[in-house]
Amino acid sequence: MLSYQFDWSVVTTGKYFEWLVSGLGLTLQLSAAGIVLSFLLGLLIAVLRMSHFSPLRWFAHVYLEFFRNTPLLVQIFFWYFGSYKLLPMAVNEWLNSTNFEFAAALIALTIYTSAFIAEDIRSGVLSIPKEQMEAARSAGFSYIRSMQYIILPQAVRITVPPLINQFLNLAKNSSLAMTIGVMELTYQARQVESYTFKGFEAFTAATLVYLVLSVVITALMDQYNNRVLNPQRG
Amino acid sequence: MKKLVAMLMMTAAVSIAAKSFAAAPADTLAEVKKKGVLVAGVKDSLPPFGYVDEKTRTIIGYDIDFINAIAKKLGVKVELKPVTSASRMPQLQEGNIDIIAATMTKNPERAKQIDFSHTYFFTGQKFITRKGAVKSVKDLEGKKVGTAKGSTSEQNVKKAIPSATVLSFDDYPQAFLALQQGKVQAVTTDEAILAGILAKAPNKGQFEIPNVQISDEPYGLGMRKGDKNFVDFVNKTILEMEKSGEAKKIFDKWFGPKTDFHLQRNFKIVAGK
Repeated sequence: MLSYQFDWSVVTTGKYFEWLVSGLGLTLQLSAAGIVLSFLLGLLIAVLRMSHFSPLRWFAHVYLEFFRNTPLLVQIFFWYFGSYKLLPMAVNEWLNSTNFEFAAALIALTIYTSAFIAEDIRSGVLSIPKEQMEAARSAGFSYIRSMQYIILPQAVRITVPPLINQFLNLAKNSSLAMTIGVMELTYQARQVESYTFKGFEAFTAATLVYLVLSVVITALMDQYNNRVLNPQRG
Repeated sequence: MKKLVAMLMMTAAVSIAAKSFAAAPADTLAEVKKKGVLVAGVKDSLPPFGYVDEKTRTIIGYDIDFINAIAKKLGVKVELKPVTSASRMPQLQEGNIDIIAATMTKNPERAKQIDFSHTYFFTGQKFITRKGAVKSVKDLEGKKVGTAKGSTSEQNVKKAIPSATVLSFDDYPQAFLALQQGKVQAVTTDEAILAGILAKAPNKGQFEIPNVQISDEPYGLGMRKGDKNFVDFVNKTILEMEKSGEAKKIFDKWFGPKTDFHLQRNFKIVAGK
């Protein structure tokens, strides 16, 4: 009774394997789209946060504190269920006819992660001596152009290692999308468990896949960091 | 270690004994008449089938009314023993109880271990939908259907409507919220649970449970295997209850229009089912 019969064929062949693969597909889509969007949004928020125009600065500040300090799960529920009360009915009906589960999960992941990324980028920018900005401005660059050509390219190089952490978190946090019915990897692992009672195999397989995904993201970012951004450090 | 081995052997011996019914009386009908009491295993926290009444502190419910009727026919008293879904079959086989009346679905695996009476309650997996939206399973093809994770409900709906997208939420209230917001077109599980959700819903007037069923859950009274006299007696009694209208009266008392459940009685107690 106590001994557990392992049956790895459950997760390596047949329809349960297909479920896990389709789950992985959604996890990859969520992660890839989330990484790109949250990086762009985080960059924007970081720039706003350092703006000399105080309303923009304050907006960015509130945004950061709000989205950094509330649980991601609550944010997912907010975008999925809470948005219903705020939007006009016509918009709701249109959203419900689409794949709104995926969109709500992606919005939540993007916004949540962008707050952390913005702070990482800001700390990178602050580590660039302020004389560089002064030099750029006195050479005739506008604030935006100084940021674009002088400050950000250096700051992003410094920021890459902490960014890797945020991207890894995003990939793993994407599993929370299962709570609103997005059939990503963790959801499918749970499905396999409830159909086959082979929970150990299903979750081991999912764990390995997340591990491989994380290692791949780290390796890609390291490559980019060493080869492209900092070839001299190699 | 010796103790452990001895304990294991004892456990094995007990379970073998239970399987061969050595401890249980062979003719329950005669035995119950002799001792003057019918011992029934019932649920004690599952309204309205079997639950503790707040005022009298006794167990009441649909299942208990059936036991009372059988005991009355026998001319004996009733003793109720709370059981769980896991404990009810061993309790019966070991002779601790004479009959199971605990929302037990009849299925072939169980019928190998015990004998069932005719079906005395019939339910099944249904849907909550917006009023008038769904008339048959066809209306849900290609639609989104909400349920709770890991339940058999999820598997049944995938089998019955393969083209539907099943969205599994953490619990039924969340699935119902998704229905209210139009994110799913139906919420599905056992009808008794659905009726409970609907009874508590704030705007229940907009929703209904259409008569669309995708799986059968026939409940039977459980008795020891091969206990023919007793099984025949119970079957005869509940058939008489059907004929006299008492069975319907009990159904209406617990599930009818005056209750929170508003269920239609879509079954009759008949021989051979």
